[in-house]
Amino acid sequence: MNKLIVLIFFLISFSEHESTSDQFITRQGQVSFFSYTSVENIEAKNNQVLSIIDLSKNEIAVSMLMNAFVFKKSLMHEHFNESYIESDLYPKATFEGQIIDFDPLAEKQTKIIKGNLTIHGMAKEVEIKTNIENNNGSYLFTGDFEATVKDFDIKIPPILAPNIAKIISITFRFEYQPYEK
Amino acid sequence: MTITAQDLLETLEKEYPDTPQYELATFKASRLSIGHSIETRKKGVLEIQAFTRYWNIPNYGGQSFFVDKLGARIALEYGISDRFTFGAGGSTLDGIFDGFLKYKLVRQRSDGKGSPLSISLFQNMAYRSKRNRPFADVNRFDEFSDKLSYTSQLLIARKFTPQFSVQISPTYIHRSSSVFPDDPNNQFALGVGGRYKLGGHVSIVSEYFYVFNPLESTNTYDAFSLGVNWELSDVMLQFQLTNTRGMTEEEFITRTPNNFNFKDGNFVFGFNAIFVLHLSQKKP
Repeated sequence: MNKLIVLIFFLISFSEHESTSDQFITRQGQVSFFSYTSVENIEAKNNQVLSIIDLSKNEIAVSMLMNAFVFKKSLMHEHFNESYIESDLYPKATFEGQIIDFDPLAEKQTKIIKGNLTIHGMAKEVEIKTNIENNNGSYLFTGDFEATVKDFDIKIPPILAPNIAKIISITFRFEYQPYEK
Repeated sequence: MTITAQDLLETLEKEYPDTPQYELATFKASRLSIGHSIETRKKGVLEIQAFTRYWNIPNYGGQSFFVDKLGARIALEYGISDRFTFGAGGSTLDGIFDGFLKYKLVRQRSDGKGSPLSISLFQNMAYRSKRNRPFADVNRFDEFSDKLSYTSQLLIARKFTPQFSVQISPTYIHRSSSVFPDDPNNQFALGVGGRYKLGGHVSIVSEYFYVFNPLESTNTYDAFSLGVNWELSDVMLQFQLTNTRGMTEEEFITRTPNNFNFKDGNFVFGFNAIFVLHLSQKKP
């Protein structure tokens, strides 16, 4: 009986180990966004984006703090968090999705990631074309996509409408390492 | 699919490093309405400020358009570091020149840990170059040092909700000289102010300064202000209805000669325009 319990425990711990080795994480993912208008260019970068991929289910999740975006001007940072994104109420932006037809062994591939992007408390289904590189068991995801400001219920007063692009371009770069708890 | 991806998001939730999160922008500008707020300018930011006050004089026979009198103040404020600001300015009323330092000592944390309040220290020195004839002045004008005053403030604020912030400002004012022996050289006051954000860019603000030991030689009243703050990218505009014409602490806290009402001479309309220049920019 005792041996059986030990065996069950062994099996459970072994299977747990199995499942975690399918997960890869980055804690220093990079996300930048750009808003180009004739009045002013706004550019911001977040170097502390968290992301995790699960190869067993081809799933991906991304989470970032909005106030970790660094702007050229400190006032832009304040306005972004205070007046537009309202990071008091919605501190994080997240993405959860599935990598379509992902081949974990291919060295280089371009795949579509389909999922829900949540900014300012509003979720929007998006499809993002992503370049995936496999470097000896670590993964590099890069790509860019566009987001429409209106989709996320971000209010821009009419007088400032010329300063902020209606469509924001977003680039990302995630270097994943095997996830150990 | 979404259920398991949610699990991944929960995994990420635990991976956030435990870096302290501070409240951003308890107030937007370095002035709440008439008095200083806890806010300091960020490093390398230069503010160019133009403040004006407009009021009427009862039974004034002048030919002035719109208002009888106008007071103006031009000032600069510079962020030496994110928490330390230096400023200097000149006001036309009483010819006051002043310089000040403001240091953000404690920052309110937004993550529920650490301090529930923000505290800033404020110290200024003001030099009064003009007499207010034909009225009696409270300070002497013999020596240079007679015309100096010093204001020390402990600015304590809390952002209760994203919209609502409150500040209390215990204030100590020292005037270097008095003409009348009954007038106190050291005066104590308590400022109370708040802001309520109506939207992302507009807030209503109000401020009141209670003086514990007012001047004896003249009737003075506590300064009160009701205003609207509006910010537009690099420009901040502050409008106020107030009873005080002064724009430096010693003047508006201790020497406001009229009450707040809409009679000529008592009612003052104020307008602050603040332009923000980023002299050093970060590389994103």
